[in-house]
Amino acid sequence: MVSFAELIVSALGLYAGIGIIFALLFVTFGVARVDPAAKGAPWGFRLIILPGTVALWPLMLMKWIGGGRRA
Amino acid sequence: MSHGYQAVLWNKHKRTYDLAVAGGIVAYIGTFIGVSMATWSGPNILSTEILLIQAFGSCAFIMLTIILSIGPLARLNSIFNPLLYNRRHFGVMFFIVALAHVIIATFWYHGFGIVNPLVSILSMNSEYDRIAQFPFESLGFVALLILFVMAATSHDFWLANLKPGVWKAMHMFVYVAYGLLVLHVVLGALQAERSSLYTWLVIASAVWLTVLHVLTGARETSKDHHGAVAARDGGHWMAVAALDDIPNDRARIVPMKDGERIAVFKYDGKVSAVSNVCAHQNGPLGEGKIVDGCITCPWHGYQYNPDNGQSPPPFTEKIPTYKVKIEGGHVFVDPTPLPPGTPVAPAIIGGNA
Ligand code: FES
Repeated sequence: MVSFAELIVSALGLYAGIGIIFALLFVTFGVARVDPAAKGAPWGFRLIILPGTVALWPLMLMKWIGGGRRA
Repeated sequence: MSHGYQAVLWNKHKRTYDLAVAGGIVAYIGTFIGVSMATWSGPNILSTEILLIQAFGSCAFIMLTIILSIGPLARLNSIFNPLLYNRRHFGVMFFIVALAHVIIATFWYHGFGIVNPLVSILSMNSEYDRIAQFPFESLGFVALLILFVMAATSHDFWLANLKPGVWKAMHMFVYVAYGLLVLHVVLGALQAERSSLYTWLVIASAVWLTVLHVLTGARETSKDHHGAVAARDGGHWMAVAALDDIPNDRARIVPMKDGERIAVFKYDGKVSAVSNVCAHQNGPLGEGKIVDGCITCPWHGYQYNPDNGQSPPPFTEKIPTYKVKIEGGHVFVDPTPLPPGTPVAPAIIGGNA
């Protein structure tokens, strides 16, 4: 039987898993589209926004599709 | 500021600040372990893992209490402003300490079975209806998730790309996390028979924070209601302060009836007025100083030229400015804000204004 706890942990795991894959693509290709100030930003910066992108990936996906912040 | 992104913005002051915080953490953990070993000896001796769990856990709780105190303290007295300067790094270091506590605890209590440690935390006991047995670990786990999102989104990139309102609202969840942590400690301590010291310390911190926030709130409101609250009366000059009452290189904050505040700075034989609200995270510019000819925000050090409200190049932030004049030793301001970054000639002290 799948317990409630297992369900929560699996759901979190799935969310984070998709998030990690998305975040890697996002910090490599997406971030400069979403925010022009990030064009050519160093890898340290990309690494530092990686965890936040994993956490908020649905939001950043919407921004990426929508073209992002008007500078 | 919004001129390309860097991983971490450090300067000499921020480095000193971070080193001081890191030194504090090491000193605390060392002292905690030393004192505990001396106190609980013989048959009562605690294992190293448990000592570490308690040391990191209590350190994290104290750090969060300090972090939440810094804002109101700085509003009550400007001597606390230096603490505010790099609060963000303090916050991230706090998260790392909390994470260390969680990792050690998870592996110590839940890591040796075949069940996924996280599942084990959430399901170890399901006595959610019995206070004395309540699975306090779940509370800590939820708090950690909230704090993770916060630490992960503290870079300026997030501030710029999540709307400031969203970012601020998200970061208000820190109070929810704090509440969960208070319960986590109180309920956890209830289950460990040792002493009620933790319970009392945690309750005392929660009371301290509440009083501090209420006090600051009350003071801000009364500051705005007494004294020179000025109405916007359509482009008319308004007396804001005697020239001698504004210290050099500092400002006088003038509250308007509609809740806006204007910061009137005296520097270099001149007077200029700008909005009190920093373009970065709404920091109180009027509590800052003039450094190298620029208004410098006390929160994270963003700078603006007093006579046009623009950040010096290459930065691009702008804040609203106001017209000023001096007459008979008094400073007058036209309370209509000019568009952000509008140049305004400063009033010259002793000149024919
Ligand atoms: S510099 Fe961050 S609020 Fe002013």
